[in-house]
Amino acid sequence: MDGPAGARTCDDSGVDVTAEPSLPPGAVPARTPRGALRRPERGRWCAGVASGVSAHLGLPLPAVRVGFVVLTLLGGVGVMLYGFWWLTVPAGDPWRAAADTRPSALSRVARRPAESGERASRRWPVTDIAVGLLLVAIAVLLAALRQDRLDAGWVLPMLVVLAGAALAWSQLDEVARGRLRSRAGGRTPLPVVRLLGGVVLAGVGVLLLVGQATGPGVDAATFAQSVVASLAVLAGVAVVVAPWWLRLWRALADERAARARESERADIAAHLHDSVLQTLALIRARADDPAEVARMARAQERELREWLYDDRPAPGTSLAAALRAVVAEVEDSRSGPGGEPVAVDAVVVGDRVPDEATAALLQATREALVNAVVHGRPPVSLYLEVGTDEVEVFVKDRGDGFDVDAIGADRFGVRESIMGRVRRRGGTATVTSRDGQGTEVHLSMPFAATPPVAAEPGEPVTEEER
Amino acid sequence: MTQEVPVVPAGAVDVVLVDDHHLFRTGVRASLDARVNVVGEAASVDEAVHVVHALAPPVVLLDVHLPGGDGGGGAEVIRACADLTSTRFLALSVSDAAEDVVAVIRAGARGYVTKAIDGPALSDAVRRVADGDAVFSPRLAGFVLDAFGAAAGDVATGDDELDRLSAREREVMRLIARGYTYREVAGELFISIKTVETHVSAVLRKLQLSSRHELTRWAAARRLL
Repeated sequence: MDGPAGARTCDDSGVDVTAEPSLPPGAVPARTPRGALRRPERGRWCAGVASGVSAHLGLPLPAVRVGFVVLTLLGGVGVMLYGFWWLTVPAGDPWRAAADTRPSALSRVARRPAESGERASRRWPVTDIAVGLLLVAIAVLLAALRQDRLDAGWVLPMLVVLAGAALAWSQLDEVARGRLRSRAGGRTPLPVVRLLGGVVLAGVGVLLLVGQATGPGVDAATFAQSVVASLAVLAGVAVVVAPWWLRLWRALADERAARARESERADIAAHLHDSVLQTLALIRARADDPAEVARMARAQERELREWLYDDRPAPGTSLAAALRAVVAEVEDSRSGPGGEPVAVDAVVVGDRVPDEATAALLQATREALVNAVVHGRPPVSLYLEVGTDEVEVFVKDRGDGFDVDAIGADRFGVRESIMGRVRRRGGTATVTSRDGQGTEVHLSMPFAATPPVAAEPGEPVTEEER
Repeated sequence: MTQEVPVVPAGAVDVVLVDDHHLFRTGVRASLDARVNVVGEAASVDEAVHVVHALAPPVVLLDVHLPGGDGGGGAEVIRACADLTSTRFLALSVSDAAEDVVAVIRAGARGYVTKAIDGPALSDAVRRVADGDAVFSPRLAGFVLDAFGAAAGDVATGDDELDRLSAREREVMRLIARGYTYREVAGELFISIKTVETHVSAVLRKLQLSSRHELTRWAAARRLL
């Protein structure tokens, strides 16, 4: 695709090719990208053709409007052009359409979510209705003026034909809208119904017209014969056109699928760019500091893992997620005795909604983890199990251990922040330390009146203080 | 069997290394100690099936995610090599997804370790698998407890019951999940290491053979937790 960004979307109109400002072939699209040829919802006076053209060609909007008026004075060319574009140019945001045609691999960050204003702006099409009413009024006026020469027999079939055509044509607009919808998954058969209805209406109208033209003298057999003949011709045309139409339809579906894949790739690329690539650059810059490099690699691994394998639960609904956050915080902020980063091997069984008791348990767990990382020796293991009536936490390290009974007043951390915290909430805390086997902190917190994970979060917790 | 390394201590375990990342294979090869001897490598499902059949090694170190074949990854390799009764598989994965782990274990792998494991521990695990034992990482033990229900009341009463863990097996799993080595588990429960290994193998058998229909569904749903 060597043309400017907008070229692909508007070749269906076949008009803009001549109107395009001459860019050298293969030129890089201009720094300020042009909008695609679309009829924007905002800032339109009538059908948005003028503002769409001005956005597409980069011309000032008043100039385009004046141009249309001038062209209208030159034998009505302006009106015809306006009508033609109204019919052929889909409604939409020119800038977004231009961005959509851009290969999404080139867009750096993940796309912004669709602005909520778009839905709000889809109000009643007041101008459309006003224009329609105006046209009807003119028609009625003309009819009234020419009352004497008006052949009522022609009016009804013409109206039916027009209604059918309007019904069929109106889906042009709808398809553009429906594309957004079908991209989201749903596929409505409404356009098909609309098309069929339009065809039937138009057919009936044409038949009435034909009947009118041949006069009342024609007999039913001839009429039926001609109907069958015309249907046969239509069927023949359909048979000839069908393969072409099918191919077009498949190409469209393929393109849509490719676009979905591309946008997924872009999402992944954006994520990798914002996280992994940054970290790799940092690691390269700090290559002489192995501890820092290991820490960054570990943090990045954790983040990427979460992104790949986890659906992030809503905050405050998962004890497991809260525990993982605690582990991440300790891993990132604390180092072992030699300043080296320590990885915590965390295993979680079961889950529940956190409450005040588990919050205290998590705080104690954090202190135990910090203790194990700073004073113990890796590997540091963390195991949390949500049982039927209690939550248990085990924190184990391979340090030299210490004599629990000899915890003096200076080791306030263990006694107060770990054991005291849990015991005040009705739990139990034990520290086991054995020679050569490291230290293990066992915390257990019963939950009596608190709901399991399936229950409603935010329920008041009745936890007796002991 | 071709022995590429000239100095191989007697009794070294021959291993075929299957992983699609050359860098990772090199790293593993370098980190394994002298008790393990890498005799072959493969980078895809088809290649792995071919190499394993040609060499019939006692142990295959197998990545869970592999390109090629029918897209089944490591589990597909194990199924395709089911005719080699003397070859055992140790799954090696960077993935934490229970789906992957359970799939490869149920296909017949004798154990599962994460790629973060260090060299000596991996060599230990390989030797253990070669001896016919099962290798459980803390995380796999956690998966087992999660899948079979950690509730204490839900215990098997007979040996033939495949859908539940016995009280002792549960205890062993819990200790492994807490980061205990087999030796430490044995010391904690006052049993021999051999007994621990028996329990772990029994759990592995249950994990592989259990018709507990929740297991697969649980693994699939685990990602959505």
